[in-house]
Amino acid sequence: MYVLGICDRGADRDAVKRAVDRTVDCLERRGRVGVVSYDATIADGQAIHESNVVGGDVSYELGADGDWAASGTGLNVANALDRLAVECEYAVVTGISDLRYPTVLIGDRASDHSDDDVLAAVDAPGDLDVDAVADALEETEPHRTLESLVARVKRSPNADRSGAIATFTGRVRAKDDPDDARTEYLEFEKYEGVADERMAALEADLEEREGVLEVELHHRTGVVRDGEDIVFVVVLAGHRTEAFRTVEDGINRLKDEVPLFKKEVTVDDEFWVHERT
Amino acid sequence: MPTEWKLFADLAERAGDKHVTVDAGAGDTVGAALTELVDDRPDLEGRVLTDDGELRSQINVLRNGTNVLVEEEGLETELEEGDELALFPPVSGG
Repeated sequence: MYVLGICDRGADRDAVKRAVDRTVDCLERRGRVGVVSYDATIADGQAIHESNVVGGDVSYELGADGDWAASGTGLNVANALDRLAVECEYAVVTGISDLRYPTVLIGDRASDHSDDDVLAAVDAPGDLDVDAVADALEETEPHRTLESLVARVKRSPNADRSGAIATFTGRVRAKDDPDDARTEYLEFEKYEGVADERMAALEADLEEREGVLEVELHHRTGVVRDGEDIVFVVVLAGHRTEAFRTVEDGINRLKDEVPLFKKEVTVDDEFWVHERT
Repeated sequence: MPTEWKLFADLAERAGDKHVTVDAGAGDTVGAALTELVDDRPDLEGRVLTDDGELRSQINVLRNGTNVLVEEEGLETELEEGDELALFPPVSGG
């Protein structure tokens, strides 16, 4: 799922809404779109919409043809995106000013930025070339979660021959030892193009194995914070033995073969990991 | 026709840049392009070459995504027009 932020830079509420509408209309022609609106004025358990459901911390209202509405407590933007990633190809986020995703800026202060993540900066929503934004968005790093990759392999045309899914998740370890200085984040640098080619070749190579039906590899780049997930290996296979083996070989080969470089930042130090091992 | 080096991780920090263009081109060797790269960059030179001028064992050299040390003729590999060279330390993904 590709995530796009639409941010106000001096535009009024209606202008932002029009930019969101135009962008969502365009993306919907390409795939399923989720929209996340953040509003800090909603607080203290105040429900966003009038609900017919009485009680419950999370409630769903469902219709006969699959239409639904939901409300609840205890969800943040990151969690909402993780949930959408399972079933959407695109997500549009509004109401956040410093999102860690590609963004479109709207308003008279839009052009005043120096951020590589900005895909377009326009005064008014009508100036937005939504197709160009959508094309640029598809060149960015998609948001993937373990659940979204599992859902993807389950949709495989080969899924009816599968009796097993095995997965590996690599995450940021705060400490190796209780006395260690706490790791705040890792920052991954990637050899653009070559890293993706190697990952695709590795997937194809593993999928050649007898009984292995689908392999998905995903590695985040940039800053990944303490406790967050870094890398996923998901294998759809006929039986558990080849699923387990392929997951293990997949992560080991990814770590050996793909040109990615890890800088570790702890509370009192900063270093390239290959220089310490 | 000049050739571009892409540098990664601490090698880019030592070189002071992630991209360095050298004059070595088609017909020259990868080694000639490397010599030109480390010339005037003693910190990078000490990191990638031994005192005898040999490439250190943990340093990778790629030409258009292919490891020249494993799949080509090493530093003797001849450059072609428009090649992209990459120099990097041991990979550390995951």
